[in-house]
Amino acid sequence: MIRILRAWMILVAASAASVFLAMGVPSAIWLGAALIGLALLKARVILSDYLDLYRAPRVRAGIMLGFVIWALVLCALLAAG
Amino acid sequence: MPQDRTAPAVGADVQLPHDLMIWVLIVSELLVFCAGLWGFSAVRISDRAGFADAAAYLHPLRAGLGTMILVSSGALAAVGALRMQRRYLLGAALVGAGFLMVKFYEWRDLAAAQISTETHPFFTFYYLLTGFHAAHVVAGMVILAVVAARRRPAEVDAGVAFWHMVDLVWVLLFPVIYLVSA
Repeated sequence: MIRILRAWMILVAASAASVFLAMGVPSAIWLGAALIGLALLKARVILSDYLDLYRAPRVRAGIMLGFVIWALVLCALLAAG
Repeated sequence: MPQDRTAPAVGADVQLPHDLMIWVLIVSELLVFCAGLWGFSAVRISDRAGFADAAAYLHPLRAGLGTMILVSSGALAAVGALRMQRRYLLGAALVGAGFLMVKFYEWRDLAAAQISTETHPFFTFYYLLTGFHAAHVVAGMVILAVVAARRRPAEVDAGVAFWHMVDLVWVLLFPVIYLVSA
């Protein structure tokens, strides 16, 4: 129960941080990467604490590796645009 | 020699939470949405200014509120699965309806501005990705209502995992569509 509550607080805080970062910081090359980084943090929390992958850290690491590769390609596409 | 059908699907040292098939579904859905976001970002390369202008029609603050509503619904669903209590599962579905309300107001505003899928490639991807996600939210709400009514542990487990997949997809869509392009 505490794990779920903690996860929820991180997700809400990271969502708020994403919005304030996007609205409050002038557009910069690192901003997109920071926002995608926050998305990866949220994804990890959901996998770990909502989907219970804290019990299978190797599976979680495998899925997160996929997300990181996806995010790197995404950042490259965003930087190219 | 007959195969042992009780053998774990993943390595013996890995205790995979939830049924293997729900993971197959989750990964499949993630692949579809992640490919869609790659497509969105690839098309943006040819018209960055157009994408920025189009993204200005969206409201990051409202989308952020929708994100907080959806992750809160996920927390309720997780508690519902943990305690096997109907009120949390139905509460999760109800809060999910709050997310759809946010989406409804967003789409209504865009429709009032006469923005459709054909207005700009940004909106083609926007409607496709957010519409497909919203369809999953509706499906998830129905699934949560059904598993709450039946309260069978395996069904609750699978239904709640589906709902978390909806959360997971949204936290990836949200920054790319609403924040980065603007």
